[in-house]
Amino acid sequence: MAVADKSTKERLLLVLDDLEVLSRELIEMLALSRSQKLPQGGEDTQILELLVQRDKEFQELMRVAHEQGKVHQEMQVLEKEVEKRDCDIQQLQKQLKEAEHILATAVYQAKEKLKSIDKAKKGSISSEEIIKYAHRISASNAVCAPLNWVPGDPRRPYPTDLEMRSGLLGHMSNLPTNGVNGHLPGDALAAGRLPDVLTPQYPWQSSDVSVGMLPPHHGNDFGLEPPGHNKENEDDVEAMSTDSSSSSSDSD
Amino acid sequence: MEVEATNEDCSWLPFILDIIKCMDKDSMDVNQELTKLKTKIQETREKILAMPEIESSPGEQQEQLKTMREKVDTKTQLLQKYKGLCVFDSPKS
Repeated sequence: MAVADKSTKERLLLVLDDLEVLSRELIEMLALSRSQKLPQGGEDTQILELLVQRDKEFQELMRVAHEQGKVHQEMQVLEKEVEKRDCDIQQLQKQLKEAEHILATAVYQAKEKLKSIDKAKKGSISSEEIIKYAHRISASNAVCAPLNWVPGDPRRPYPTDLEMRSGLLGHMSNLPTNGVNGHLPGDALAAGRLPDVLTPQYPWQSSDVSVGMLPPHHGNDFGLEPPGHNKENEDDVEAMSTDSSSSSSDSD
Repeated sequence: MEVEATNEDCSWLPFILDIIKCMDKDSMDVNQELTKLKTKIQETREKILAMPEIESSPGEQQEQLKTMREKVDTKTQLLQKYKGLCVFDSPKS
């Protein structure tokens, strides 16, 4: 390994070892020459020159080590700066990640809303029709019982079994009426024995039932006849009630 | 360990000179001076081994210093870039 590639520490230790060896040899030589009182030759001079040279090298290397110490302190300061910046970068990265998550969620929700808007636009319904339909539903006491309804009242917010059978479909199939749903008053009506107060009162009832015999139902009391109620609307109601989407339940 | 030695303190010649003077005077302090020199050399050796700043050569250390400065500059620029970045600029149509 070349001298220049060696670290300052290795070079210092090498020079120190040389100094130790040279100083020991010089002292031993001087002690020997004094005890034997012999001329020393030129060896002691050579050793002394080497000693001086090594001492100079050692001093130079110590100066270099001193400079390296200052550089090392600066490097320690820079290391702390690097650590601080690393912390800042990590903090910023964490904030960016959170912001990305929030924005991704917001974008997804906005896209879903846009899809819903498009879907609604494709299947848009006139608000007037919806309001008319709402009037008809509520006028037939389908959402709330009549005020004079008591337990035992055969009236229901849906067409009963007997009424279905007495309608067009029932006549077409000629199904026998056996009162399976237990609506005895309906049977009694068919037999002509039902009291008028218990007669089912629904807007879709046919004109077969005499209007004069029927007591007014509360749909009229509250003016629940839909605004602009006319035969055309009744036809619409007929169409709605016979839609396959509505189902009569065999309750009771 | 910080290097605090000066040029005067680093020289070993005064120690050797003291030993030679004692030998010339035939003083009994020769052994004492020899022991002192040996001890001083050993202490210096231990101090050198404990110094972390001289693990590398001056050239290598300068390279390390340069690299560290570049690292600090890069990270500083990165931070300034991210903090000054506006991600909500509307794209030019």
